[in-house]
Amino acid sequence: MAFGRSRFKPLFTRVDQDSFSVNLSDGQRDLIAGLIEQLDQMLDTQSPALRRLFPEPYGDDAERNAGYSVLAGAELIESRHARVELMRSQIRAEKLSAADLDTWMRTLNDLRLVIGTVLDISDDGTEPGDDSELELFHVYEHLGFILEHVVEALME
Amino acid sequence: MTAQRPNVLTETTSSLSTSLVAMRPSILSMASTAPMEVMDPTTGDQVEEELPWVVLVWNDPINLMSYVTHVFQKLFGYSREKAEHLMHQVHFEGKAAVSSGTRAEAERDVFRLHEHGLWATMQQD
Repeated sequence: MAFGRSRFKPLFTRVDQDSFSVNLSDGQRDLIAGLIEQLDQMLDTQSPALRRLFPEPYGDDAERNAGYSVLAGAELIESRHARVELMRSQIRAEKLSAADLDTWMRTLNDLRLVIGTVLDISDDGTEPGDDSELELFHVYEHLGFILEHVVEALME
Repeated sequence: MTAQRPNVLTETTSSLSTSLVAMRPSILSMASTAPMEVMDPTTGDQVEEELPWVVLVWNDPINLMSYVTHVFQKLFGYSREKAEHLMHQVHFEGKAAVSSGTRAEAERDVFRLHEHGLWATMQQD
């Protein structure tokens, strides 16, 4: 992967009021494509890695947390499936609308939340525990790099 | 939260106390008027009028600071400045009150924050 000059080229550039050009490499798109499929499959499991996607709103009030889960739980899962589906269809896109880029942003953040949980990222500046975690750690860092570009483009 | 670009962290912390002041008045004024007891006309029982619920966002080590700021602006229509104040409060103090209202309103905001992967809870103040 080439760093250096290309590192400073924005990955997403606003073209007009409602569209952005996408300057991701094929490798970056392949990486994201693979990860969203894994997320899609995980979403219907009870994996503890999903913990951060479904926080409990009422502290230690188990009854109210259960009530919230009944109301919101399915929708929090289904909307994530829908976002993955949209991203899958746009993974090679050269141009995205603002709404589409928002979908990308939220899914990239979900991926970071899941991978960060797997890596047990616990405070700022966490380093990979051992070599087996190194690759995943680099993926996590690179997703952060891409997400930062998305947010910058949307906030500009 | 993590700062993908470390220079975000160089923001002064002196603004943190003022952000709390800027944030709280509406919550405090609501809290001071809310806890009154009224009679339920159907049962004759005394019921406590609903106190306002406060939505809290908690610090976590994964969400990017820029992302959190953006989400606060997007969901609540806050200015860039106010959203950054709240983000810094979350980052440096561990949590921030980002909205308040009835239980239904708070639950809706919590849900929208969960839709964006933020660690949001709600409590009655």
